[in-house]
Amino acid sequence: MDRMRVYVVDNGGQWTHREWRVLRDLGVETKIVPNETPVEDLSVDGLVLSGGAPRVGLDAAKMGRNGDYLERAPVPILGICAGHQFMALHFGGRARPAAVPEFGRTEVTVEDPGDLFIGLPRQLVVWESHNDEVTEAPSGFRTLASSDTCPVQAMQAEDRPLYGLQFHPEVEHTQFGHRIFENFLRVCKDAL
Amino acid sequence: MFSPEAFIEEAVEALRKEISGKAVIAVSGGVDSTTAAVLASRALGKNLRAVYVDTGLMREGEREDVDATLRSLGVRYKVLEAADRFFGELKGIVDPEKKRKVIGNTFVHLFEEEARKVGAEWLIQGTIAPDWIESGGQLRDRIKTHHNVAGLPTSMTLEVVEPLRDLYKDEVRRVARALGVQVAERQPFPGPGLAVRVLGEVTHDRIAVVRAACAVVEEELEKASETGLMERPWQYFAVLLPVKSVGVEGDVRVYGHTIAIRAVASTDGMTASFSPIPQDVLGRMSTRITNEVRGVNRIVYDVTNKPPGTIEWE
Repeated sequence: MDRMRVYVVDNGGQWTHREWRVLRDLGVETKIVPNETPVEDLSVDGLVLSGGAPRVGLDAAKMGRNGDYLERAPVPILGICAGHQFMALHFGGRARPAAVPEFGRTEVTVEDPGDLFIGLPRQLVVWESHNDEVTEAPSGFRTLASSDTCPVQAMQAEDRPLYGLQFHPEVEHTQFGHRIFENFLRVCKDAL
Repeated sequence: MFSPEAFIEEAVEALRKEISGKAVIAVSGGVDSTTAAVLASRALGKNLRAVYVDTGLMREGEREDVDATLRSLGVRYKVLEAADRFFGELKGIVDPEKKRKVIGNTFVHLFEEEARKVGAEWLIQGTIAPDWIESGGQLRDRIKTHHNVAGLPTSMTLEVVEPLRDLYKDEVRRVARALGVQVAERQPFPGPGLAVRVLGEVTHDRIAVVRAACAVVEEELEKASETGLMERPWQYFAVLLPVKSVGVEGDVRVYGHTIAIRAVASTDGMTASFSPIPQDVLGRMSTRITNEVRGVNRIVYDVTNKPPGTIEWE
């Protein structure tokens, strides 16, 4: 069987290339693609929507075709940081500038392991870098994790394999980051 | 999974295919450029001219170290003496981005002059992933101008080749080990050198202060990690701040410089946490720097992670 193919949609994040690296290290075929890539051109088994400099509340136009992917790509999708915020807004949730932004080391509590946190501890030290945040998950999504100052650190849709993470599982300083990606890849594999 | 052996084979082959004729490679003695030089030397043999630029912005003993490293690898290189040129270009510049651009431009002009002399049309650089990521472009914000990416002048005529472009430092180190490069474990040192560790204007005096302070930090932290008092940080150095403060030395009022000590743990430079340093070790560095480095009377320790800080201050 061919290797699974999971691409990274580049929204201009500092850690987009790290997402590519983690996926490569986990043995899937991966590539970074611009966020203007037409959905028809993506023959993939899963997608990661990267974080990025665009403030989704302020300049959503810079998020390219992320909305198309969420509507029309029939594969599991993991939105990270700006990708997560965009996903929440797209499906009717709320995102806005955070009262307290989070940069660097943050502790999150997993209230519901969902698919992404299977086999992981309830308390995780993760690395963050965001000015905006999701304040309310869309209806049809459940919140999986939160921190003291950010209510939706992770969410999952009930009826489709869509996931959002506010923190960055792709960087070295985040505990169990690879495990979270492995859990996402398991979902991609089950969806084949 | 990343395989250094496979990478070496592919990189040498790609360099052979891409470059027809002579190339110049810029070497600093660090892990990235030394690794790139060994790969390029395997691919191009005598068609490669390595150059080391003495910017006057290097650390204590750096030039001797570079010489030993390159000799041991059999890389023939030429030294370009350019300290006066760099200090001249940097005169009066305070803005960190302007500093980095001036340095990038000055480097390239030197490489172009050298390329003309030897008839080379290619410039090989040891650029790695964080360099181009942090330099930004299109959607990506510019965090800082890496001299070897966004610091290149638009008028540049040399064709740039970057064999390590997709690698992070930990992967470069694995390639370096596989190639037998002795500096594989050397701590990162930025291309613009001590210029970005002097906040404010770069002058001979201020560079001398930060050079001496960096030497103490390196010596003490290396000693402390060798004797098991702490883990060796990923990167560790001193920064001269543009802040003066009041002190008392030998019953006399002084108004002196401030040095910040920075030491971080990281794997790839894309995230970092400040290193826990035992109090005794911090104390020894503080005493030594204030006693040994003229004009410094205050030491602070930087307890910022990346993000929100970057590792270097500029």
